[in-house]
Amino acid sequence: MEWVYFGTSIAILVTMVLAVVRGLIGPTIFDRVLAVNMFGTKTVLFLAVISFLSGRPDFLDLALAYALINFIGVLAVLLFFQSRGVRRDAEAEREADK
Amino acid sequence: MITIVFSLFLLTMLVIVAVGILRTDNLFTAVMLSGIFSLIMAANFFILDAADVALTEAVIGAGISTVLFLGALALTAEYDRSPPVGTWVPLLTSSALGGVIIFATLQAPRLGDPNAVVHKHVAPWYLDRTPELIDVPNVVTAVLASFRGYDTLGEVFVVFIACIGVMSLLGRVRPRRDSIEEDEFDKRTDNLRHHLIPRVVGKMLVPFIVLFGLYVQFHGDFGPGGGFQAGALIAAGVILYSLLEGGPRGRELVPEWFSSLLVALGAFTYTCVGVVSMAMGGRFLDYSVLSHDPVHGQHMGILIIEAGVGMTVTGVMITIFHAFSRRGIR
Repeated sequence: MEWVYFGTSIAILVTMVLAVVRGLIGPTIFDRVLAVNMFGTKTVLFLAVISFLSGRPDFLDLALAYALINFIGVLAVLLFFQSRGVRRDAEAEREADK
Repeated sequence: MITIVFSLFLLTMLVIVAVGILRTDNLFTAVMLSGIFSLIMAANFFILDAADVALTEAVIGAGISTVLFLGALALTAEYDRSPPVGTWVPLLTSSALGGVIIFATLQAPRLGDPNAVVHKHVAPWYLDRTPELIDVPNVVTAVLASFRGYDTLGEVFVVFIACIGVMSLLGRVRPRRDSIEEDEFDKRTDNLRHHLIPRVVGKMLVPFIVLFGLYVQFHGDFGPGGGFQAGALIAAGVILYSLLEGGPRGRELVPEWFSSLLVALGAFTYTCVGVVSMAMGGRFLDYSVLSHDPVHGQHMGILIIEAGVGMTVTGVMITIFHAFSRRGIR
């Protein structure tokens, strides 16, 4: 059974590398946001597999915490772009009024 | 063997991402990459069996600091301006420092060497005596809360002082109203209320995050976790609510006076345990005297000081987040 876990964790690591590459080369902001999100998901999976590989499934707690927290960062990014867009529109309007 | 292969793999990625953070001049990219950096670091801690540290790094590094960085970024420009000084002096300084550190690692013991100094000093004593003196399964908690209670008290006060420092920078300023009306701005930007899916899913997650935080708080004696991680998790729940419903509603849920009070109350509770144990005839932070049975006294002391740590950390995170979200209205 162990080699299955080992193979899976290698596959997940390779996927993590792909996400890092996408995060580094971009080119758009959305590529990077998706890269971070994907990297977070892969980290959750990686921790889950590793905790079985090392025979300590009680450490799944940690993977659970990661899964819960990942979501918040992405929502913050969403809010950031939303408020930046509105602020830019408002500034453009003000410029036009002058 | 597997540990070393995975660690090397992750550490190589860590270096590449760190160089990426330095190379980019778009601050948003830097924030995203630092999120990846934290996740890699957390996975690495996990592989090295440091579950408590991995939990802290994940919650604070990947979760809350991304939110706070974006809050800061909303207040500043998007691009990094190159510093006024030349690049030679910083380059020389950091290369020299890096050289010294690399030179120092040549003397460092091999990974997992049983004869390394750290494994010979007090660690065996802690491992031997914890079942007898404190009797909690998670030795990390025993070391952190009881054997090294002074250090943790110091850490709590460092967090407390850091919060005062951040608040004196961000302050409780009245929002400026020059560019856009506050109410109007709130309605349009400060929340995700009209995004149905994030709102529904997010709101469902809030109670589970807080519940998980409480579990980590009170289960810290048995599994990975404790006050620091729990505080960050509970604060993450409140922050998630504030992101979804907007800053003003978040401040209604946990008012600013309450979160500031928590910061002080946590540090106060911790110190009180020390003073009470002195009053009951022991030494400062010697929990054994708190109950008729020394082991039971230790359990009680650890429970109370962990609660103090949790309160301070929760308070600090929420206070700083509120300060940012208030400043965001311009």
